[in-house]
Amino acid sequence: MASLIEIKGLTKKYRLGQEVITALDNVDLTIEEGEFLCILGTSGSGKSTLLHVIAGLELATKGEVLLKGVSITKMKERKMATFRRKHMGFIFQSYNLLSSLTAIENVALPLVFDRVNKKERLKRSREMLIQMGLKDRLRNKPTEMSGGQQQRVSIARALINNPKIIFADEPTGNLDSKTTQEIMEILSEKVRNSGVTMIMVTHDLNLAEYADRVIKMIDGRITSIVPNKKVG
Amino acid sequence: MNKLDLLRLARQNLWRRKMRTFLTVLGVLIGTTSIVVMLSLGIGLGEEQRKSMEQWGSLTMIEVNRGMVFDEKGEPVGEAKELNDEAVEEIKEIPGVTVVSPAYNLHGEARMGRKEGGLQLVGLAPELMDQLEFKASEGRLLQGGDRNVLVVGQRVIDNFWDESERRAMARGMRGPGRREEKDPSEMMEQRIALTVHNNNNYEKKRKFNFTVVGILEGEYGQHSWQAYAPLEDLQRIRKFMLEGAKSRSDDGNFSQGGVMTGGTVRVERVGRSRSNSRDTDNYDYLLVRTAGIEHTSQVSEVLRDKGYNSWSMADNLEGFEKTSRTIQAVLGGIGAITLLVAAIGITNTMIMSIYERTKEIGVMKVIGAAFSDIYSLFLTEAGMIGFLGGVFGLGLSYGASHLINHLVRNYISGGMPMEEVVNISLIPPWLALFALVFSILIGVVAGLYPAHRAVRLSPIKAIRNE
Ligand SMILES: Nc1ncnc2c1ncn2[C@@H]1O[C@H](COP(=O)(O)OP(=O)(O)O)[C@@H](O)[C@H]1O
Ligand SMILES: [Mg+2]
Repeated sequence: MASLIEIKGLTKKYRLGQEVITALDNVDLTIEEGEFLCILGTSGSGKSTLLHVIAGLELATKGEVLLKGVSITKMKERKMATFRRKHMGFIFQSYNLLSSLTAIENVALPLVFDRVNKKERLKRSREMLIQMGLKDRLRNKPTEMSGGQQQRVSIARALINNPKIIFADEPTGNLDSKTTQEIMEILSEKVRNSGVTMIMVTHDLNLAEYADRVIKMIDGRITSIVPNKKVG
Repeated sequence: MNKLDLLRLARQNLWRRKMRTFLTVLGVLIGTTSIVVMLSLGIGLGEEQRKSMEQWGSLTMIEVNRGMVFDEKGEPVGEAKELNDEAVEEIKEIPGVTVVSPAYNLHGEARMGRKEGGLQLVGLAPELMDQLEFKASEGRLLQGGDRNVLVVGQRVIDNFWDESERRAMARGMRGPGRREEKDPSEMMEQRIALTVHNNNNYEKKRKFNFTVVGILEGEYGQHSWQAYAPLEDLQRIRKFMLEGAKSRSDDGNFSQGGVMTGGTVRVERVGRSRSNSRDTDNYDYLLVRTAGIEHTSQVSEVLRDKGYNSWSMADNLEGFEKTSRTIQAVLGGIGAITLLVAAIGITNTMIMSIYERTKEIGVMKVIGAAFSDIYSLFLTEAGMIGFLGGVFGLGLSYGASHLINHLVRNYISGGMPMEEVVNISLIPPWLALFALVFSILIGVVAGLYPAHRAVRLSPIKAIRNE
């Protein structure tokens, strides 16, 4: 298996007045194509920061991120935006749907930026939402949906452009255990069936069982890498 | 993002904050309205000025009179030109000139039926009359081959009185202060007899008969008090008047003779300016028609350079235009300030909107919105506010313009019947178009800074504060 992402000596420091916070401390990590990676760690351990730097949303202080051998740390912001649009999907703890748009419009938004025509993108979005079990919520605004429904809309949005990598930052952080299970089933099934690479960040140990591999982070450092032996 | 999606998204975003959008649009609306109405007043006033000048004399007509041209210091410019056929030919050659007619000018006592009065008679080339901006309201204009016919201005009738009118006037009941409106149609088909004395022998007199074939348009204008006859008729009259004349220094100007009583007729020639020409065959003046208003002052200038004493209503136009441009600039400036305030309103609204939508902008960036998408979105929203304000402002401007004109017509003018519809506020199509384009532009310019800020916004900061 060719390595999809190679992270070498990644360091991220924040300056807060006089204080310097080291959010990432010399992280080395290789992520394979099609794997479901779980980054486990307590709050403030640097998980989100790692995710953002890999996605090119934040600049590293030191070190390098290679996507299929190409360094994204040196990529221009403009180019990075196009890259995200074409190859990456994002799922957040607080869903981050646009409140003025309906479910179907939210899902279609990445395709709007990708200049897909209206008819086609609505068709694709509708199919995606039906897959997510939201057939009856197509025209609803986020405020008219439950947390679980919103997160499913947000998953549909992350998947709509057939991305290579999905970044999920505490995707179930705001959900009850039953809904969490539903969401995790959807996500892991997607990884199994479509070969997409999933990088999920969580502080919830229970979620680790869905992943192929779990890495633990403490204070910006990777302390252990645990391959999950899972059948199926 | 393609243009249609951009417009749709922008519209949705504006619609989300209806009240705020409405108030911002209202600002632009007021700004646009004030600038359009102010400019419309400037334009309308200028147009009225022009119309009233046109009433007094066509802006495509130039009169070339006898006499010399003097510059500002009172020095003569060139040689005095003689107004003969050569001059006619020379002037015809000037670019922008379409018609040149020679003209004579006589003032005489005349009789029409039982009425007596004075006649200010102008002779011109009859075949050219229809090309010289004359229009007949009744009957016809002079034509080539005409003999002993007259076309009269509408107020020529005012100079004719019958016996009773004469007596009433003598008693002072009808002074010049109180004009008795007479119907000019009364003159149609009438015979007018003009009696002329020989200049050198007062006892020698002759009667010349004319028939009125037409009445000119224009109640109060340059031509209203004049009667027009074919040039040849005037030449015959002059020939009789000047028979036996020796060369006299003041040959062009006949001194007034005799007191006006019953049968006596006095004839004087009215020179437009003191003639210093010795040639009695010269014309009194020439009427020149130009191809258009834009040519008139230029032709006028060429004529003066050549030594002709030219006069045109259009000469005054430049001054008037300057004044009305100044008025427009001042009024437009007032409107511009209002619009500037509106523009600041747009900027303010857009910045507020960015604060509110910080997270949303961040999300859009994360899921792949390009810089240009964010930039265009905010510019479009700002431009839309401008456009809406422009459209509704324009609508309101038309309403306000109508109202102003209505008020002026009915109240300011004191209910006096006006000859023509006066519009002191005028919105020409170019102004409407300008207002729309300008308001959109104002919106876009006002949106530049907010859009720039939105683009600069860090997506991480936006999505981190959860
Ligand atoms: N913009 C920032 N400025 C300063 N410190 C930050 C900033 N973003 C994150 N940090 C700090 O970096 C550390 C890692 O944060 P984060 O990656 O969000 O942790 P996690 O997602 O594991 O909870 C924390 O101590 C946090 O306070
Ligand atoms: Mg986090």
